[in-house]
Amino acid sequence: MSVWNVVETIAPQLLLLGFALALPALDYLFKDKRILAVAALIPMVVYAGMVLCWTLLGVWDPPVSSIPLLELDFFSGLFTLAFLAVGIIVVLSSPEYIRNERNHGEYYALILLALIGMTVVASSTDLIALFVGLEIAGIASFALSGFAKSDKRSSEAATKYFIVGGFSSAITLFGISLLYGASGTTSLSAMGPMLETAFGSYEGLHSVTTLATVMLLAGLGFKVAAVPFHMWAPDVYEGAPTPVSGLLAAASKKMGFAALFKIFLLGIIVTKTDWAVAVGILAIVTMTVGNLIAVSQTSIKRMLAYSSIAQAGYLLIVLPVGTQYALAGGIFHVLTHAFMKSGAFMVVVALGVRAVGETLDDFKGLNRRSPFLAFSMAIFLLSLAGIPPLAGFASKFVLFSSAVYGSMGADGTPWLLWLAVAGVLNSALSLYYYARVIKHMYMDKGPEERIRPTPMVSMAIVFAVVMTFALGLYFDAVIDLCMQAAGQAFPGLPAGDLIG
Amino acid sequence: MGWWLMFEGFPILSLVILAPLVGSIATFMLGRYERYAKWMALGASAVAFILSLAVTLAFVTDPVGSDTHNGYQFYESHVWIETLGINYIVGLDGISLPLFVLTTLLCMLSVVFSWDTDRRPKAYFGLMLMLEVGVLGVFVSLDYFMFYVFWEVVLIPMYFMIGVWGGPNKDYAAIKFFIYTHVASLAMLISIMALYFEAGLGTFSMEAIAGESVGFATGVQVAIFAAMLFGFGVKLPMVPFHTWLPDAHVEAPTAGSVLLAGLLLKMGGYGLIRVAIPSLPDGASEMSLVMAAIAVVSIVYGAVLCLAQNDLKKMVAYSSISHMGFVLLGYATLSELGLVAGVFQMFAHGLVTAVLFMMCGVVQHKCGTRLIPKLGGLAQKMPIAAAMMTIGFLASLGLPGLVGFPAEFSVFYATFDEWGLWVLLPLASVAITAGYYLWALQRSMFGTTTTDIDTSHLRDVDWYEAFPVAVLIALIAVFGVFPGLIFSRITPAVEMILGVMGGG
Repeated sequence: MSVWNVVETIAPQLLLLGFALALPALDYLFKDKRILAVAALIPMVVYAGMVLCWTLLGVWDPPVSSIPLLELDFFSGLFTLAFLAVGIIVVLSSPEYIRNERNHGEYYALILLALIGMTVVASSTDLIALFVGLEIAGIASFALSGFAKSDKRSSEAATKYFIVGGFSSAITLFGISLLYGASGTTSLSAMGPMLETAFGSYEGLHSVTTLATVMLLAGLGFKVAAVPFHMWAPDVYEGAPTPVSGLLAAASKKMGFAALFKIFLLGIIVTKTDWAVAVGILAIVTMTVGNLIAVSQTSIKRMLAYSSIAQAGYLLIVLPVGTQYALAGGIFHVLTHAFMKSGAFMVVVALGVRAVGETLDDFKGLNRRSPFLAFSMAIFLLSLAGIPPLAGFASKFVLFSSAVYGSMGADGTPWLLWLAVAGVLNSALSLYYYARVIKHMYMDKGPEERIRPTPMVSMAIVFAVVMTFALGLYFDAVIDLCMQAAGQAFPGLPAGDLIG
Repeated sequence: MGWWLMFEGFPILSLVILAPLVGSIATFMLGRYERYAKWMALGASAVAFILSLAVTLAFVTDPVGSDTHNGYQFYESHVWIETLGINYIVGLDGISLPLFVLTTLLCMLSVVFSWDTDRRPKAYFGLMLMLEVGVLGVFVSLDYFMFYVFWEVVLIPMYFMIGVWGGPNKDYAAIKFFIYTHVASLAMLISIMALYFEAGLGTFSMEAIAGESVGFATGVQVAIFAAMLFGFGVKLPMVPFHTWLPDAHVEAPTAGSVLLAGLLLKMGGYGLIRVAIPSLPDGASEMSLVMAAIAVVSIVYGAVLCLAQNDLKKMVAYSSISHMGFVLLGYATLSELGLVAGVFQMFAHGLVTAVLFMMCGVVQHKCGTRLIPKLGGLAQKMPIAAAMMTIGFLASLGLPGLVGFPAEFSVFYATFDEWGLWVLLPLASVAITAGYYLWALQRSMFGTTTTDIDTSHLRDVDWYEAFPVAVLIALIAVFGVFPGLIFSRITPAVEMILGVMGGG
């Protein structure tokens, strides 16, 4: 392991880190704080460009890592793209929103640090690296959610998030240590065979791994806000500055899924029979509770919070189905959700900048005040509900169909069909509260004065709208990448699809 | 060999879909020039209609022996999402052709009928064109994925049309329509996934999957067919899943109702014969009696409900339930005549119901109410409207010489062929139908002039209302006298389907 290779492997993270360290200093140099946002965009765009060149265009190959902790594969590449896309959208929308706060440099630095943690999780091949990544991102997010220091709700959100986050990290770490004890390794790929050997010699070890599974499910369940570990999410999303809520809902949460996929489908896949049913029930409960509570929300941010709890339920389907096809659907859904959810939050940001409130009633008559914002919001919400030809439909289609496939055939598991049925029924349920917002925007009367969103927020929203359409209309290249990613990083899983 | 070779290799069907799509986007982007929205919409829908007429002329009536693609003409196939086996495949056969032309016709006439719409015209006409895109797409798709995409695309414009331009209770009606039909679509989605995986071909092509799925085990076929029957049946609508329809119709603006009853209901009937029945013949024959029972209940129950209505439009809405029941009854026989009759009934109902809803719109517009007890003697003030409404009602109750008669007659004939004297059950509805139509006509148009509304300033129909209705009435008469024009095109396609099903 040469030093150069290490530097080469983590070069993008170093780039982010460099800018993160420089930004607070730049804060003193520039009066126009938008320059800081542009500076923060540079490393993200460069990084995203590199990943795009490598994954989609195939014109460049990343260095083969000689560190046993990190590996750059399509799986990490696609997750990184999702994180960076959200990062770019959030940073573009931030300058005007936080204009009355101090310490802009630190704000962007913290976003970059959070992204470092997320990308580390996505490319980790080892539980230690994974945990370190979770912590880097976690601590940066705690600070970010308390960024609006003058706002009590923001401080409350930060405190709550910090306590719950710290607690869940501890539980996760406990689970990791149990797994290490049972298998004797922290390497995810080596864990499976070593666990099997260990089971061969001592059957009772199953109780240890089961305990570890419960701990990991609870710890990471907090991160992804799966029911019953979701209580913190609505409060934090509501209290945190809205761009940060977007970052938490669309990116932080996906980091939790990267970790869940890595641990459950790579590390402890050999014990799948022990946890598949439990995770399946967790998935159904999560999506149903999330959607049911979302129906009664009057704050748009809380509604979006519960909607992303429901989306976590859909994504949890991947684990019990446990095929490469399901995982491809999961990665795809992470990508599409990154755009539609962060887009929806950025519409709230754009309104917030113009001093429009955050309740559903504030959306009344939005179409007359700003057709652009109303149209964008409608697209994001319809996509979240899974209406074709938008991106959310395409990814849900793959996700749910993987459950249908898993339930069929001689070696299928029939109960998996209920995951698809629950997902589909929940999509219909979610349509109710999404359509209600659309009704407010287009059919109800509200204040008349026009709202002009600021240019940077508009750019972010246009980007998200375009991607929501593009990923729904033509996703061949993306789904192909997702399949390759799943096959590369999780070679042990059954294919679970019809494509050779 | 035929005329259609003129379009050999020419994407005429895509062009027909593209015209309203481009028109829709252009209409939305008119900006300050919103007074041109209706012209834009008329232009786009007229282009689509003229192109579809060209398609009709070039259509080979009996494709047997000609070099069509398994009976599908104007066939186009392009790879869309290769990884999942999703293709852009379109084609027309004798089943889809009548509905395809009906769509372009009704959309164009609806634009004309809405000529005086001044409330947010850009959005109104833009949405109408978007709806046309969706419905056309459904009728030409030969790939399950794009079929579903177009199917769902239809929902959004209709949701907005009801919700924005609807009546007093529009909020409830719009969301009920949206969610009710969306749930049904999702049932269909799951059954599409099941078909796709069970066939195991890695393609969503309807033809390829049908080739496999006819051989599925009976239990599997019944399960998938039942899910599809629910998915398509809600749209049809069949009792007991019909409750969204009266709400949606009563609240929708007139053009919305015309498109809803004239086209959207047909999507359900079309889905059954394009997808469910030929792909799952064993499931269909197992469920045949269930379909027949639901159909008869829909026919009779719908007709009885009509008797009880005071609102002219609500009555017409319930009559749709009854008349779409005939489609399902025709299908339930699974005989050649029954299937052909079902398709013909869809076409006939599309023409007739459009007239009825337009006339309801005229009454609402001129009199300010559609409540039958408040109307009366309108024929003296608006003779043309009364005549048009009378013809519409007579066509709908199945008067020989008008298009409803051959449709219903052949459904009854097929039913008699299959189940003998059980045909008397649905036949009884004819008497009820005649009863509610004539009764309503007598109370609203004839008799003593009403005093509940101010009739002194009543005007007769305006030109933009009369023109579409006149066109439709002409067609109702033409196809009533020459039903063979349609029958001769549907029959070969149905024979093709029965051939796939192994003789039915």
